[in-house]
Parts: sequence; structure tokens; C-alpha cells
Amino acid sequence: MLALPPIRVVVVGGGTAGWMTAAALRALLPDRCTVDLVESQEIGIVGVGEATLPHIRGFNERLGIDEAEFMAATRATFKLGIDFENWGRIGDRYIHPFGTFGRGQGTVDFHQYWLRLRHCGAAVRELEQYSMACMIARLGKFDLPAPDPEDIASTFNYAYQFDATLYAPFLRARAERLGCRRTEGRIVDIELNGESGDIEAVILADEQRIEGDLFIDSSGFASLVIGKALEEPFEDWSKWLPCDRAVAMPCRTRTAVTPYTSAIAMDAGWRWRIPLQHRTGNGYVHASAFISEEDATAALVEAVEGDALAEPRILRFRAGRRTRSWVRNCIAVGLSSGFLEPLESTSIYLIQAAITALVELFPDKPIADSDRNEFNRVIDLEYDRIRDFLILHYHATERSDSPFWDYVRTMEIPDSLAEKLELFRRRGRVVKYREGVFLEASWIAVYLGQRVTPMGHDMRADNPSAEALARGMETLHGQIHAAVERMPDHATMLSRYCPMAV
Amino acid sequence: MESKVIRSVAIAGGGIVGWSAAAALKRRLPSLSVSVIAVPPPADALADGVVCTLPSIVDFHRDLGLSEADTVLRAGSGYRLGTRFEGWSAPDYVHAYGSYGTQLGSAAFHQYWVRAAKTGAAIPFDHYSAAAMLAREDRFAPPEAVARAGLGAIGYGLHINRPRYREMMRAFALHLGASEVAGPISGVRLSDGSIETVQAGKRDVSADLYVDASGPSAQLRSRLDEDWEDWSEWLPHDRVHFAQSQSPAEPSLLDRAVAFPGGWWWQAATPGGTYCGIAYSSHRLTEADAARVLTEQAGVTAVEPAVAIRQGRWSRPWLGNCVAIGDAAVAAEPLEWTNLHLAHGAIDRIVSMMPDRDFSAVELWDYNRQVGAEADRVRDFLALHHSTASGKQAAALPPSLEHTLRQFRERGRLPFFEEETFSRDSWLAVLLGQSVIPSRVDPLTDALAPSETEAAMVQLRETIATFVDRLPRYPDYLQQLGQKAA
Repeated sequence: MLALPPIRVVVVGGGTAGWMTAAALRALLPDRCTVDLVESQEIGIVGVGEATLPHIRGFNERLGIDEAEFMAATRATFKLGIDFENWGRIGDRYIHPFGTFGRGQGTVDFHQYWLRLRHCGAAVRELEQYSMACMIARLGKFDLPAPDPEDIASTFNYAYQFDATLYAPFLRARAERLGCRRTEGRIVDIELNGESGDIEAVILADEQRIEGDLFIDSSGFASLVIGKALEEPFEDWSKWLPCDRAVAMPCRTRTAVTPYTSAIAMDAGWRWRIPLQHRTGNGYVHASAFISEEDATAALVEAVEGDALAEPRILRFRAGRRTRSWVRNCIAVGLSSGFLEPLESTSIYLIQAAITALVELFPDKPIADSDRNEFNRVIDLEYDRIRDFLILHYHATERSDSPFWDYVRTMEIPDSLAEKLELFRRRGRVVKYREGVFLEASWIAVYLGQRVTPMGHDMRADNPSAEALARGMETLHGQIHAAVERMPDHATMLSRYCPMAV
Repeated sequence: MESKVIRSVAIAGGGIVGWSAAAALKRRLPSLSVSVIAVPPPADALADGVVCTLPSIVDFHRDLGLSEADTVLRAGSGYRLGTRFEGWSAPDYVHAYGSYGTQLGSAAFHQYWVRAAKTGAAIPFDHYSAAAMLAREDRFAPPEAVARAGLGAIGYGLHINRPRYREMMRAFALHLGASEVAGPISGVRLSDGSIETVQAGKRDVSADLYVDASGPSAQLRSRLDEDWEDWSEWLPHDRVHFAQSQSPAEPSLLDRAVAFPGGWWWQAATPGGTYCGIAYSSHRLTEADAARVLTEQAGVTAVEPAVAIRQGRWSRPWLGNCVAIGDAAVAAEPLEWTNLHLAHGAIDRIVSMMPDRDFSAVELWDYNRQVGAEADRVRDFLALHHSTASGKQAAALPPSLEHTLRQFRERGRLPFFEEETFSRDSWLAVLLGQSVIPSRVDPLTDALAPSETEAAMVQLRETIATFVDRLPRYPDYLQQLGQKAA
């Protein structure tokens, strides 16, 4: 076979997105591409302690990364889901778990039986009492899932909470070992081909010129290539997701290192709490139309639990995405392609989705339109589905205690979400996708956790007698509880499995 | 809430589709009162007329708690593993139900095969499928035995003996408590855009929900609106003949679908006899031409008169208190045997999505979206066979098929669609069987040298061949099965 000359890939920006892309390309397509990464020490990276989704495990595995080594290096903790406080009403609390309700095996969804018992007035526990992931989280335990699918202790998944400023260097070491070239320098110009409009090279402050065939824009919010040089328009979603600022401030961990992330609703947004091994990350995501940066900062400082480890830092952004993520010979990966607030920990997932699509659609020279179009179709779908899921959190609320909550409660929502909501209200049905980041249990957790109460239920759930059903649920709850009790505490597990170097 | 629960269902149509719906509803929603207006299926109802079914029928039986003693032995069914496509592309190829190839590296198996094909070194793709090789050799093994041998998944459909199968399903539905009302349907009374009663024989039948399984005329559903999506631009065949043949005398796991200019004909050798048929376009062939093809090529002696079909589907099969299923909802030529499968898909969804008597728009929308997407991808799969057969001129394609073909031709990628009937391996079997070869090789194949993958592929073929050789011939297997049961 004819050996094709490798594609010269230039990665612009060395944060999480840049190094994940560089490492993946060199690991998976070593003969197809050379990778040059340009980054500048002068420019900080956005990463503020990252909560992730379980998909990242697949990414690490594909790159042959040892889990314990990675967790120790990034001072990571385990994450079983997100604990949402004060969203439906002040005082409400629910977990969005990485796992099923019930065993997740029946032809009829577990929550349908649960709804049926509710509808006939039977005594029934909160739904989270029937979820392995929720119960491990509530009791502050952790162990790896059991391999046997019949074991109740196999019915959950997990992700990590880690220090994103340490993940990039961890991947950098790998990528460099795999042959990625790193150039230190600030980009001052981007050279376009006068005829084709494609990008030819990036020019650094020291006048170095780095040529390439394919440019990965992982320059973060700056969006140097796809935004500034190629001027791809940005679709603004702020009418649905009005939060446009975050103030972040890490602190010492005073309470337990929870195996979950917290998302606590505030007057004009929400606050994250992400426990790592060495500290806890905090931040207040808020809408500048409803609260000033000063007031938000004060509210955050007031709310954090331990001594502050740094000054509060403000981040400014806008919800939305570039109309296309792959334009000409430039592919945006990460924040340069769009921004969705970290409410459901999707930032790294979106980076990973772009990398997966890029590897599957890795181009030849010249780049085929069909590769570009398919990439954009796949990425649009990811963004759009996450968007709807995020809007749901704001819109499905009974809060009327501040202008912010009044706005999001009463705003118009996309039709695609309105249909999903109505369908759930009718009979607890979730629009099923076989592919897509958030599966059924995620939607169910948020709907029910935020008081979207179905009027009816699946007719099949009426078949067993109420007594038998209630007994079965009690048994299940007992099994879950016993399995959780056998697990070590989260902190014990961390110190045994992946202690960070001190 | 309680007061709006659906209590009764009337099913119009006493064919396989109607009785299957009755059995599924009574079995899985036993509180419903179910009556069947037992009008015999018309000749143009393909879901009732075609003997070949897909593996989904086995799942349907399992969900109903029907054993193979009931559905195979007592109902006179046979097994089928796939279809041999002759004259579509050279050489002939087999689309069987199961995995093609095995995991070799980080790229999909077919990408390594494509790489080999580009150097002219590839053995036909179906030689890497245990199901296809079992079918070619007419030897049978249950899926568990194939899995134990490390040869991946296989699935089988059934050749049904239509009268016996229908009677089995009818007896089962009646046993579960469904009731039977004699036809014919002499009238349908509407009120306010919904069905109020159906006049069956001398009786009026009323129910909360009406299931129209009356065949292509959709005697109930057609009264509510006429919003039909026509597929003839992509699937122009509008005539079908059924026939029987004396040969081959022995049943076979592998059916034949043979292309000829103007259409295609089929042959299915089942335990109850050999069934044939032909589908073609009346613009290109007369009935006499079609009958001649069947007698000359398929050895048929008597051909039944043509039935007319118009391929397409209702935009909204469920409207108000009436849902159409089977041929009343969607018409597709029997290529790939999807007719009863689509009816089962509809029945399963009616059971799992049963709304209230107010038939809320959003619930019906979700039902119609799902069955619509499923039917449209079946349409795409059928159009794929015709549009990529050798000697075919480029014709217009449905946009979703065009997308699939463009991605596949470029680099062997199969984009994902919701509600897909056929697995990726099924799509690959037909695409690669019909010599649609991607122009580029997946770069992920680089990590394994061609010599390595070649060795692995040789080994897979040998393992399959050794496994297949040890198995009983299918007619012997059937005989043993009968003896064991007796």
C-alpha cells in the first residue's frame, strides 16, 4: 500500500484540551500524524479543579493510563454523581447518580414501579434509597464496581474529581514520550493561504513560524484560530443559560472528602464544591444580569467551609457554541468550540467527544467535506443534548425567591426540551437515546429531584400486586444497604488505592 | 387519573398480526379487555403472507412466555439464518443474522477487511461470519453453542407455517382471555374525529382504543386522515405474486433473493413446503412476464394472482383513539423480511407506551416518532439493496440513506441512527456483499500490520469451518428435534 505522508498537526494551546488531543493523536495514530503543540507559560489555563463524567475512564484506558497512577498524580478523588441542593425548592436535595435506580435490568423501568406505589398511596422510600450509587455517596464510602453483572455492587459507575492543572502536565509527559513536539511561545499571528483561506502557519512572538496541515484550536476562551482568524460565528444560548460569570476560590477541606460533587443553588446561580485529596474547589457560577461580581464574590467567601487557599478569581464566559467546530483545516477542541457551564461536569466530556470524532474521522490531504460535515453533525448533537439537560435544571423549579429564579422558571425553553418534559409529566417516560452522554437514569434523577411529578405511570407496572412490589423493593433496599456497608470509607479507599505524593 | 385509564381494546383483523397484538396485550397488560374482529387477512397483507421472519420474532415469543415447543414444533415452523443474494452483485453473498468478523485491534473488523480487499487479498466478507457459513452449509447450531465456540453472536428467524402459526397465536390469545368477534367489518362510525364504533357482522364493537390490523386498506385508520408518505420514488416495486414450488424438497436455513431486470424473486424452503414469490414494478413487467420468471427460474407450477402494494407509511400511524399496525401502517416489499418485524415493533411499543383515554398529543408523538424512524431505516436498508446493485444507475436516495452511503463510501464509517432494525453487521454484510468499497482505509488499522491481520483472518475462517463441519445437517437437526419432542 501507498504510504501517505503524515498529516502535520499543530495544536494551539496546552491546557487540558490541547494535551488530551496531542496525547490521543500520538497514541492512536502515530503513523498518520506529527504533532506540534504550542503553548505559552504566560497564559494561564482555565482548569479550576475538574469534576468529570465516567466516560473519562474509557479515554484513559485507551491511552493505556494506569488509574491509580493518574489519580495520585492529579490528587484525584472518586465521584459517584452530583448532589444538587436547593434546586427544586430551598431545602431540597437529590443526587444525580452514575448508576441505575433498581438493578436496571427489567423490561419495565424501576422508577415506574416506584411511581405506581406512590400513586396507590403505598409507603415507599425516596427513590435514591434504591440506587447503589446514591447510597454509596450518601454514606461516604467507595469501592470499585463488582465485575459480576448479577451482583448489586455492579450497578454503578464512577468518574473522578481531580486537579485539572495537574492533568495537563501528566498528559504532556506522555505525549512528549510519544513524540509530540512542544514549543514554548506566544502566538502573535495566524497566516492564512491567500487562495484557499486555509491556515498555513502560526507565528510566534519570537518570529518562529510553525506550519501545519491541520490546526487544533485548544486556545480556550481566546479561540485564537476558529474564532479570531477564521471568524466562525458563535451561537449565543444565554437566553436559556444566563449564567456568564464564575468566581472561584479553593479552600482547605474541613469536612469529609465526599465521593461526589456538590451543586448548591444560590440566589443568582449555583455554587460548586469539588473535593480533591489536598483541597476543596469552590466556585459560584452566576448571571451578571442578576448579581454583581462583588456580591457574588462575597456570597462565595461567606459560603465556603474552610480557610481560603487563594484569592477569589473571576472567569467570564458566554453559553453557546461555534456554529461549526471544524472549519477549513481547523478543529476547535474544548472551550474554543463553545461553553456550557460546569453544572453537569461536561467540559472534559466535550473535549473527549471531539477527540473521539477526530480520531474516527481523521482526514487525508486534502480534507474531505464529508469528514468535516460528519464531525460537525456529531459535535452539534452532543452540545444540543447537553444544553437541554442543563436548561432543565434551571427551568424545573418552584423557586420564586429571586429575580434570577423567576426568570429561568418562566422563560421559553427549546421545543426539544418542552416535549421531553411533557412526556415525563404524563407518564414518567424518558425520551430514549441509545447514544448520547446522559442516559435515562440521569434524566429521571433530575426530573424527580426537581419535582417534575408524573401524573401516570407505565401500565405494565400495575401487573404485580402492590404488596409483592413493596416487599421486593424492601429486599432490594436491604441488599443495597448491606453491599454499601461492606465498602471502605472513601478516604480510606483513597489512601489505600491512590494516595497523592506529599 | 384512574378514570382515564384505557380499559378495552378492539383489534380489527384476525390475521397473524391481529392475533399477535391480542396475545401481547392480554399477556402483558392483563387488565385490558381485548376483542378481535376476526376478519381473515386479505391477500395483499404481506405481514400475514410472507413465511420468512427476522430474529426479532424469537424475542417477541420470549416476551410472551411462548416456548419453542409452541412456536416451532407445534406450529410447524423452521429455522432460518439468512438470505443469499444472487444476481445483485458478483459473487453472490449471504446476509445472515450475527456477527461478521471478530475484534482485532482498535479499528472495526471490516476496516481490516477493506484494507485487505484493496490489495485484492480478501476472501468474501461473509466467510467471516459463523451464521453465514452455517447458512451456506445448511447446518444448524443454537446461538449458545456458537458463542461457546468463541465465534460471536448468531441469531435466527423462523419460517412460519402461516395457518398453523395463526391458529397457535389465536388459541394463545383466547386462552389469555381475548374474545373473538366475527367479521366482516361493515362500517365504522366516527364522532369528532375519533372512532365511536365499528360494525362487525351484526354487532357494534366499541372500545377505548382501536388497533387497525386490517391490512393495507386500513379500514379504520384510513377514515381519520390520508396523510401517507409515499416511498415509490425510492422503492418502485408495486406488484407481488406468491407461489409454491416442489423443489427443493428439503428445508433450508438459507433463503434466496434473486435479482433480475425489473425486480427480484425469492424462494424459501421450509418444513411445510417451498414458498416463492416475486416483487416487481408494473411499469416494467406485465403479470404474465412475472409469472414466467417464476416458472422458468424458480420451478414454480402455479402462481397466485398479483397483489398490488404501494410502499410507504402513514405519517402518523397513531391518531386519536386508533393505531394502525402491520400492513395497515407500513408497506414494504418483502426483501429482508421486515413485514412481521415492523408489526411486532408496533405491538411492543403500544404495550410499553399505552396512553390514557385522552390520548395526549405528546405521547402519540413519541410513539409515531419511534415507529416512523424504525420504518424509515427499513426503507433505507431496502433502497440500499437496489441502489447499490451492479448495473444500477444512480437514482435519488432518501437523505438518511444518502448520508450513510456517503460516509461509508468515503471511509467505511456507519453513522448511527436511532430505532435501527438492522445491526451494523447487517449493513456491512449488504454493503460489502454488494461491493461498496470505501475509498479510504481507516487510519486506526495502521497499528496492526497486514500480515498480522491476514493471519488472524485465516485463523477465524478455519475455526468457523472446523466448527461448522462437526454439526448436523439442518434437515437431520429438525428431525432429531421432532423425535426428542415426540
